[in-house]
Amino acid sequence: MTEMEKYHVILFDSVHHALRSEKILKGMGIPHKLIPVPRHISSDCGVCLRFTIDLRNKIEDALNGKVDIYEIRPL
Amino acid sequence: MAKTIDAKGLACPQPVLLTKKALGEENNVTVTVDNEPAVANITRLGKTMGCTLHIDKREDGTFQIHLSRDAGKIPSAPLDLSCATGPLVIAISSDRMGRGDDELGYVLIRTFIHTILSLEPLPHTVIFYNTGVKLTVKDSESLDDLKEIEKKGIAVIVCGTCLNYFGITKNLSVGVISNMYDIASTMAGAGRLVIP
Repeated sequence: MTEMEKYHVILFDSVHHALRSEKILKGMGIPHKLIPVPRHISSDCGVCLRFTIDLRNKIEDALNGKVDIYEIRPL
Repeated sequence: MAKTIDAKGLACPQPVLLTKKALGEENNVTVTVDNEPAVANITRLGKTMGCTLHIDKREDGTFQIHLSRDAGKIPSAPLDLSCATGPLVIAISSDRMGRGDDELGYVLIRTFIHTILSLEPLPHTVIFYNTGVKLTVKDSESLDDLKEIEKKGIAVIVCGTCLNYFGITKNLSVGVISNMYDIASTMAGAGRLVIP
């Protein structure tokens, strides 16, 4: 599996939602990484959260209803 | 006429400076160096000065670089000595990028560090001082990026005074502890110095 296939990213409309999500995931001990939005993806806020694919459901459950997610997509 | 330079064991940017001086006197110059950053820097200088280059890697691990300047040939780009005289160095002086909002600054510095490996050309050295050293210790959220940076052969040097000041010396997890002599000479020897 290549690096690209291993990860998904969560995109947000606002940096504040990205930061709120980071706080929630940190609090729950769910591994993730705040990275600049890759050049081939566009988003208004410029930062996104990267995570390994196996954590997708866990992360969606953790953030559901607490932050506005623009999109979750492969890296 | 040809000129031969032995630049083995010389610290950056000496090999580049000697090569530049020699190319001012002769059209054919052969330089021997013992490290790849020096090869890269001399190659960049040669291209900037409109030279044809030939590089031999020798069995003893040294490199012989032959530069020949076609008489009368005008360099393809204006001679940019500011770039040719030394490597790219990045100095991380804080665990925030920019001034104003700390939370935002912490987001920016992490994304900046993540982006370093996509720079072209890569930096030669990344220096950490003041609160910047907090990014190099255990539990830093930039540690994985910094380990990748180090793995690529980029020197990561960390201010020992600063680690000591914050009481986190034993938590250093990437790079080598260094002193102000190294930090000052690396910054002064940089062709370009980026301080985010």
